[in-house]
Formats: sequence, structure tokens, C-alpha cells
Amino acid sequence: MTAVSPDAGRIWTAARGPVLIGVIILFAAVVITLLRGGGEGGSLDPRSYRPEGSHAVAALLEQNGVRVELTDNVSSVEGATLFVTHPDLIDPERLSELSRRAAATVLLAPATEVGKVEVETRQPGCPLASKAGPATTGGFVYEGEQRCYDSTLVRTGTVTTIGFGAIFTNRDLDEEGNAALALALLGQHDRLVWYLPSAADRSQQKSFTDLIPDGWKFAAWQLGIAAVVIALWRARRLGRVVPERLPVVVRAAETVEGRARLYRRSHASAHAAAVLRQAARDRLTPLLGLPHGEDPSEEIARRTSRSAGSVRTLLYDEVPVDDRGLVALADELDALENEVRKG
Amino acid sequence: MALTGRAGLLALIGVLFVGLLLPSWQGILLVLAVLLACVVVDLALAAGVRRLTFVRAGASSVRTGELCSVQLTVQNPGRRLRGVLRDAWAPSAGVVADRVPVDVPAGGSRTFSFDLRPVRRGDRIADRVTVRSIGPLGIAARQGSHVVPWTVRALPPFHSRRHLPPLLERLRELDGRRASLIRGAGTEFDSLRAYVIGDDVRSIDWRASARSSDVVVRTWRPERDRQVTIVLDTARTAAGRVEGALGGVPRLDAAMDAALLLSALASQARDQVDFLAFSHKVRASVPRATLPVLVQAMAPLEAELVEFDARGVVAEVLRRAGRRSLVVLLTSLEPSIEHGLLPLLPALASRHRLLIASVSDPAVHAMAAGRGDLESVYAAAAAERTLAERRHLTALLARHGVDVVDALPDDLPRALADRYLSLKAAGKL
Repeated sequence: MTAVSPDAGRIWTAARGPVLIGVIILFAAVVITLLRGGGEGGSLDPRSYRPEGSHAVAALLEQNGVRVELTDNVSSVEGATLFVTHPDLIDPERLSELSRRAAATVLLAPATEVGKVEVETRQPGCPLASKAGPATTGGFVYEGEQRCYDSTLVRTGTVTTIGFGAIFTNRDLDEEGNAALALALLGQHDRLVWYLPSAADRSQQKSFTDLIPDGWKFAAWQLGIAAVVIALWRARRLGRVVPERLPVVVRAAETVEGRARLYRRSHASAHAAAVLRQAARDRLTPLLGLPHGEDPSEEIARRTSRSAGSVRTLLYDEVPVDDRGLVALADELDALENEVRKG
Repeated sequence: MALTGRAGLLALIGVLFVGLLLPSWQGILLVLAVLLACVVVDLALAAGVRRLTFVRAGASSVRTGELCSVQLTVQNPGRRLRGVLRDAWAPSAGVVADRVPVDVPAGGSRTFSFDLRPVRRGDRIADRVTVRSIGPLGIAARQGSHVVPWTVRALPPFHSRRHLPPLLERLRELDGRRASLIRGAGTEFDSLRAYVIGDDVRSIDWRASARSSDVVVRTWRPERDRQVTIVLDTARTAAGRVEGALGGVPRLDAAMDAALLLSALASQARDQVDFLAFSHKVRASVPRATLPVLVQAMAPLEAELVEFDARGVVAEVLRRAGRRSLVVLLTSLEPSIEHGLLPLLPALASRHRLLIASVSDPAVHAMAAGRGDLESVYAAAAAERTLAERRHLTALLARHGVDVVDALPDDLPRALADRYLSLKAAGKL
């Protein structure tokens, strides 16, 4: 049998390790999620026990006979107090419609402020909160019919606006008259709708996906599936990539080039000049019919118009040359050689 | 398994179906179910790949760069097989087209031919044969691979064989077998024969002519039945790439070309050729080599990154060559020879004649001619330094009675053969 493709048994042997790891990860994720349960919650969440949560005030309200309904999607607010923790996340039209229907509305720090002040303990200075006494307020300053705490708490009709949420948090509830103020605001009626808007409530404007007919949303899903199928079709290789052991191949001149760079870096112009002169002499002597190593200057002088002295200086001079001189020397040696070859 | 383009097309048609007719999760699930059912049906009905059997035939060796073909026969014991077959080879095997459509009837067999043009010398090994068997709907396919071993040995290209006819012509001149105005230049007395017009009058044997009624000339022939030992250096320096007329090749390949031309010529001249490839140990050894055996022995050789063991090679040559022979060492003239080979030369030279053939690098010669700017001049100095070292080595070796042929890769085979012929003519073998 020449087949080398894996059969079912070998696939299982190879895959069980990764599959086991995947199952363990999935199991661990489920267990952790179950254990941590719903004990979560963000700031001003009446279920949250964290310092920035609001479980304490919700519990106090329950004790005083106020039914607290936590919601992130309000439907019925008739006869109830509506407490909106993030009014800016709700469409203004919808918010005004809700507050019209609600018996009382408390808005926390909406973006309709006229100024900002420090957060600190303030005196009420108005009949509305006189029972509560001093409380931790600040943040935004608003315009309104009744103004308390230096205009950080105002009421217009049934709508109360407060500039800072400290009085509702577990951390600050027991400070000064915070608890009394919170209960006075939220306990106006025996039902409280605690509205924690989510990001989805931000606007009722139609987004791109809303404009597509519903049918084509499913078609888009199907398009995704088709893309996966096409990817699978293209990704499957017809046999493995063939490896090949390549022989060691180095450019033979690499060592010579390396030596040239070394000369250059160390500015070995004197050495390079000596080598070039020696090479020129080695080429000239056989050309002139002289034995190896003999001084060719006299013979060159006889054949060309140059003087023996100048030729000797060119071929033997030991005076070091600089980089520029080296380039010139190479050209001069070439010129001399050409003259000898012609002459 | 594998999917085909049709599966993707079906999924795309599903988009229209979901969008226009059934825009719901049910619609998507329906399309998926149909797709899955088609895939399952196709996989179930596609011919099995695992039970296919394969037989190979065809070329087992080819000159590098030339075309050969290898046949692959597929025997299908199961259902009709339709699909694609890929016969995978390493890239340097140079397969012209490695995938073919297949259609093998149930219980039948088909033969496919694959053309190979190896681009590199050595053993080119077939990798796997992969078959994708597509089901009757053409949506999914079974796929599997088989190992069907086959090796095509890419032989040295022997480009220098075009030099052989003129060299053989010269050999015949030496031999005196060709009537020519030049006196037969051999050194061994061969025979006497009647004078024909055109023979050199200086070769008339007057003594023999006096005894005979005709004018008789002496014929000479070059020495024969000498031994030529070709030693190929496959160590470090052989890996260096040099540029030739046919692109860059390792020095080793250029040396092989020269070795092949020399051995072809020497066996025509009725000398006995022994071949030895050596790095730090014997890599290949062919006693009494003929050309076909030699190219087979050379084909798988590759240069190794080890230092050439001169001591080992001298011992090996002395051990093998019983009688006096011409030892041709194909290596590179590097300064390391001075310490490695030079001290051992007396032992070798006392019994054999040594000829060192070296592949020189055209790039170094080009660098030596560089002028104009500082970089070129420094490069020229470095190249001149290297060339001076080689000249020094050549002189040093010549003083020990060693002939040196140092030539560019394209010229080396001819230069080496010429040197061999001139040694032969001079009776120095």
C-alpha cells in the first residue's frame, strides 16, 4: 500500500489532544461564568455592592415600601418615579415623552448644564430639600424653577435634575444628609422605575442595518457562509509543499570583496598602492622580456618618452598616498601600461 | 476531502434563495442542509483514493537541462475515478506540468506522462502523488496522497563536449594515423610502412628502405596505456559560485566539466582513467572509468563545507596508483595549498606527475580591472592581491615540478585538455 493520507484512526489520534484542550477551555469558561453569576453591575446599579454601586439606596427604598423596578427599556412609567442615571444616552424626544407620563422624574447630570462647580457638602437653601439638610452635591449647575444646593439640584414641574450622583452611591450614602435627600427624591411615589440606559438606547435614528430589508440581513449571513465555503475550496492544497535540500553555494569572490571593504574601512591606501604597483610590475616585466623581479624602469624609459626616474617613482615610490591619490595612481599605472603595450 | 468551486457557487445561489424566498434562520439552515447533503452524497459516491495503485516507468537519468519523461500508471480497482492528479517533484526537477486531469474507468488503468527538465545536477526524487477524486455532483472530492518512489539522476551537463572533435583531430595528428604534412609527433616507435606522397621526408627510414624495394617511412605513435588519475576536490572551495557563459555554477561543476572532457579524450587516446572525488574522505571512486560510469558517479556529488584533506588525498593516490601516472588535481589555487599540499609534494612527485587545474573566478578579474572611484580601486587592489597570491602559488608549484592550469570556468576544460595533449606529445606521461 502506497497511500500516505491519514485515515480516520490517525486523524483521531492527531486531533484528540487539541480537542481535549478545547473542551477544557470551554468547560472552564462555563464554570467561571456560572460561579461569578449576576453579582456584577456598574456604577449606580441598584444590584451592585461596589462603592460606586447603589444597592444601599435601593434597599432603603424597599424598606420604606417603594417598589424598585430596574429596567433598561422603559415601557410603563405611569404613576411612578422615573430615575434616569444616564439621560444623555436616551433620545431627547423619548425622554421628554417618558417624563410627561411619569409622576415624577429624576435626571442625573444631563448635558443641559449652564456651568460647573466643585463637588462638596452644600446647604440646601430651599424648601424643597430643607428636610434633608446638607448633602454632597456639585458637578453641573442647571436652570430651573426651584433651585437648591447652589443650583446643582433644580426642579421644573415634576422633573428634578441633579448635577452629581454621589448621594445615590454606596460610598457616600451615609455622609451628611445624602440618604435623606436620595430617599426624598426617589421615594416620591410607591413605585420607582430605575432606568439604566444602555448604549443601544442612544438614538432612535435609523442606522445602515435598519435601512436594509430584514430578508437581506439573512442573505448577508448566507453570504458569509458562502465566503467560508469558497475559502475552504481555495485553501485546500493538492498535496503538500515539496521540500528540497539545496546545496551550499557561496559566491567565490566574496572573500575578495570582503578584503576590499576592509581596505576601504581602514583607509589602507598605502597598502593598496603597494599591491597595485606590484601587480603592474608583474605584468610589465614579462611584457618587456625581463626576468621576474627585475626593475623595468630603464627598459620602459627606452621604449617610451618617459624618463627612467619618473617611471621608477611611479612603480616603486614608497611614499604613502591618500585615498584620492590612490585613484589617480591606479589611472597613472594603467596609462603607463598602455604606453608600453603600444610602444 | 476537498470542496470544489461548485460548492461555493451553490452557497452563493443560497444567498439569492435566502434573500428573496426565505429570509429567516430556517432559510439559512435549509441551504446549509442542502449543501451538506450534496457534500455527503458526493463524498460517498466519489471513487476511493486509498486503494489506487501506481506504477512508474521511464527515464532514470538525464543530462541536466535536457528533457526527459517519466510515466505514471494509475490502476483503479474501485468506481470510476474522475478528478485531478498531481505528481509532485522537488522544484529543481523542473516538472513542466505536474497536474493532469484524470478519468480512469472502474477496474481500468491509465498512464500519464510527465516531462522533466532538471535544472540542477544530482538525484531528483519524486515526492507524493496526490489524487483528488471528485464526486458525481462535482461539489466535493476525496483527496489522498501516495508515495510512489522514483529517482531521476540529473547528470553533469558536459557542455565542453563540443571541444572534443577538434581535440580528437589533434590526437589523430599526434598518432600519425592521419596523412598530414606535419611529422607524426609521437615519441614511441610504432611501425614501418611504405612512403606515400605527403609524408615528411625526414621520417624516411633509409636503413629499412635499403633492405626493401620501396621507400619506407617510420611511423610514430604517442605513448599509450598510461594512467591518468583525476582527483576532484569537493571540499569548501568547490562550493564557490563562479559566473560562466551559462550562468553561475559552483566551481565543482566547472571542474567536473573539465574532468569529463579530459577523461573522454584520455580514453580515446587509450589511456586508463581513474577517478577520485575527495573532500575530507573519499566521496566517489571509479577505477578504469568510462564516460557513462563517470557521469553517473559525478551526478550526486555536492561540495561540502569541510577543509580539503591534502594528506588524505596524497595517501589515497599513492595507495591506488601502482605505476607512474599523471595525477590531475582539480581544485582551487588558495593560500591553504601552501601549508596543506606543498609539504607533501615530494612524496607524490617522486612517483607521479602532478597537474593542478584550478577554476579562477571571472569576478576577481573584473574587479582587478576596476578604476574610477575609490571603492573600485580598493576592490582592484584586493583582487590584485588575490591574483598575486595565485601567481606566487603557481610559481611555487612549478618549482616543485607541478604543472598548473589556472583558467576561467569556460576555458578550463579546453586548457586542461590542451595541456594533457602537449604532455602526451612530449612523452612526459
